[in-house]
Amino acid sequence: MDRKRDSDSATLTHVEPHFWVEHYGDYLFRYANSRLRDTNSAEEVVQETFLNGIKYLQQFSGKGSQQAWLLGILKRKIVDFVRRRSKHQRAQPYEDEHDPSNQLFDDKGNWKQGAVPWSTAPDRDLQSAELRTIVNECLTHLPSGQADVFVLSVMEGMDSEQICKELSITPSNLWVRMHRARLGLANCVGSQWFSPDEVSGHAE
Amino acid sequence: MLSDKRAIELVSKSFNGFLSNAESAAMDRHLEESRDSRGFARLSTAIQQSVVELASMAEQDVESAGPGLSQDAKMRIGDSIKLAIEQKLFESKLAPTIAGHVDETFEQATDSLIRREVQPGDHRQIGSRFTLIRQLGQGGLGNVWLARDEKLNRNVAIKEMNTHALQSPKAWQRFDREAEITGHLEHPNVVPLYQYGTDTKSGEPFYTMRFVGKRTLADAIEEYHDRCQAGKCDPLLLHRLLNAFLDVCQAIAYAHSRGVIHRDLKPENVALDNFGQVIVLDWGLAKVADDGELGGQISGDHDLTDEALAKTMVGEVIGTPLYMSPEQASGGTVCHQTDIYGLGAILFAILTGFAPHEKSLNGVDDRHAVRDVLKSIAENATPLPRDYRIDVPIDLESICKKAMSRKKYARHESASELATEVERWMVDQGRRQSEYENMRMEGRELRSNVQAAVRDLESNVRFMSNLPPIEELIRVESEDEMLAWRERLVTIFCGLLSAKPDYRSVVYSRIEGDQFTELVRVERHSTVHSTIRSIPRSRLRSGKSSDFTQHVVQMNPDEVYTSLACGPLCDAKSPTSDAVTLVAGVPVFDNASEDVFGVVIIECDLDRVMKEQLNRRFVAADIAIACDTFHVMMHNRTSQGLIEETVSQPIAKVLPKFNGAVAGLQNSMEFIDETDRQIYGARLWLIPKTHGIMFLLSQK
Repeated sequence: MDRKRDSDSATLTHVEPHFWVEHYGDYLFRYANSRLRDTNSAEEVVQETFLNGIKYLQQFSGKGSQQAWLLGILKRKIVDFVRRRSKHQRAQPYEDEHDPSNQLFDDKGNWKQGAVPWSTAPDRDLQSAELRTIVNECLTHLPSGQADVFVLSVMEGMDSEQICKELSITPSNLWVRMHRARLGLANCVGSQWFSPDEVSGHAE
Repeated sequence: MLSDKRAIELVSKSFNGFLSNAESAAMDRHLEESRDSRGFARLSTAIQQSVVELASMAEQDVESAGPGLSQDAKMRIGDSIKLAIEQKLFESKLAPTIAGHVDETFEQATDSLIRREVQPGDHRQIGSRFTLIRQLGQGGLGNVWLARDEKLNRNVAIKEMNTHALQSPKAWQRFDREAEITGHLEHPNVVPLYQYGTDTKSGEPFYTMRFVGKRTLADAIEEYHDRCQAGKCDPLLLHRLLNAFLDVCQAIAYAHSRGVIHRDLKPENVALDNFGQVIVLDWGLAKVADDGELGGQISGDHDLTDEALAKTMVGEVIGTPLYMSPEQASGGTVCHQTDIYGLGAILFAILTGFAPHEKSLNGVDDRHAVRDVLKSIAENATPLPRDYRIDVPIDLESICKKAMSRKKYARHESASELATEVERWMVDQGRRQSEYENMRMEGRELRSNVQAAVRDLESNVRFMSNLPPIEELIRVESEDEMLAWRERLVTIFCGLLSAKPDYRSVVYSRIEGDQFTELVRVERHSTVHSTIRSIPRSRLRSGKSSDFTQHVVQMNPDEVYTSLACGPLCDAKSPTSDAVTLVAGVPVFDNASEDVFGVVIIECDLDRVMKEQLNRRFVAADIAIACDTFHVMMHNRTSQGLIEETVSQPIAKVLPKFNGAVAGLQNSMEFIDETDRQIYGARLWLIPKTHGIMFLLSQK
């Protein structure tokens, strides 16, 4: 990586599109995949990023690194991709189907007995490396309509107004999606983190 | 009390910091009481933290953030990049550098390429690729520099926008289009564009192209006409100019085939390199036809409509509409035939040394006046090359006139057709030159044959005057002696006429004062040519001497006076062809008194001499022989043969086409029609500036 960075520094003012895949392909792909949670989609936006970079080559001022410049394009491409995906899925009535509240709460709005996966070992230390793997996995199981707003908000740090604008959704819809994402993630992560085997292990 | 569901909604909301104090307090109370809710809050916080860490890891390019691109994906994306680069190169006017220069091009396109600080003699390289050496030219849109490409170690021309144009977005667009169009036109006579880019230091666009030298067709035209004015007209230079014109036509024909109309054709926009290559420059005002081959590939020129172009040409770019077509001047629709007019205008300049509308623009220097000129161009008749120079070859003038027709449909169909006509003229020029040389030989032969006849006549009259009977007849004292010597002289004279069928008579006369008395006269019968007779003494004439005879008397011994006359012994005011004869006389001196005793005169049938000369095959279609003495046509031979009825008429009336030659022959022995190769004239002076014969020949 350092070698690559050095190379970046040395060629700050040089744009070499034919080396882009070799130098920046993995980096941009990981970034995209972390946001889009789908290798095909990530490959697609990385490709779009490179092609856009070639198209607007003249806009590269040479003041920053090519990686940072390409990342800027990639971020834009991710938002564009999410918007397309969001539009595509809008017709689908996922809202109710993917509301985890139904699984977790009874009619009065109280926790269902035995439905809360984290209730068995609520005080266990949450170790980050393991948890990240599970969280990452669980993100992929979330409905994309929920995961996308969650990712744009938490990972990309976009504010609510921006997200609503990009995805053409109302603030209340955004809020609903965010909440369901958190609930769904907690349900998923809780299920895997606090599995009965582990719980019994800890009990011992 | 909050329900669990409501409470964890507040927990979710708290991550975005949207809780009111009351909600926050209610949530805290609930979390203290509900273990499951507290578990959710703790877990959600951990998840939030994990997600932020995942985001950060990916951004910091930590490899544990996940696998990279698969090899397949890398190859696929790599291929698409390669394709995009090629496409970009093609579309970004970098086509010439595609093969083998991809890396370099992109590197250069973003580097600071031009070293702008130009100091005389200072050519150091300071990390830039191009070093500007000197300015080659400037126009309304940009400046062209000679520059050194330090990387490839060669000279190139760089065009960049000037300060004024940089202020105008339209000028940027035009500059861009110019590069775009030039890059798309790959033709030996269109300047090859090497590179198009933006200097990152200044942000200003530029493009590099082949350096073709500073000499333009305008310079070559000026040189040719300057030489002509100095009397050193070199047909080879005209030939070269026309060859260059053919190349321009071919470049424009190619551009038209790709749907590009140049719209600003003029000699200044045609570069000539040192090796005769012709390059059409300056496509900044070109129009790309929507339905043409490049219509979809090159950005539109909506800001440069035909009407706007006319205004642009007046004010912004050209300054004067010297070569503008009527439709451009009137803001009408421009099509490929506008370029045909432009080509005709270049041909006009080649032929005359002037731009077609130069006379209209003389002294015009303000915008309003230029508008008047535009109006004049739009409404008035197109100028003709011969309005500027009379010696323009008439066939070329016809071609030029057709190309510059006011009506677009009357012009040549294509630039190729125009080129073909000029080329045919050039090829014919060789044949015409050869035929003209043949005709010239014929003219000179005619003159030398007649001259030989004159010399023979003079020789004979001199010989006759020195015969013993001539001298003896001066001294005779008796009638018998006189008869004897006269008889001898008649015999000799008869022998001469027998030997010389063209001679009409030989006379020996005595001169006393202004009176003459014929002593011996032998003549040919006027109708029966073979009959030669000696005039009996009783029929010999006497009387007042003619002017011719008086001139002969003035000569010294053995000096022959030769002229054209209506007869040796009379002056005719209105001579006829038959009367015009070639006459030679020589004075006879009395050795005793050393005074003039008389004259010997031979009269030659010029009509017969001429007919004999003309009665053979000629290259020339029309031959006229005219007499200076009486300014009349003597003979006219057309391709159908001799025409007798035209004789005795003033030549200006019978054959006005020879007027130029007749005028030219007043001070010269020869008239050569350098322009059209149609007319040749030769002169034979019998008495300089007074009596002569003109031989006039013309081609078909």
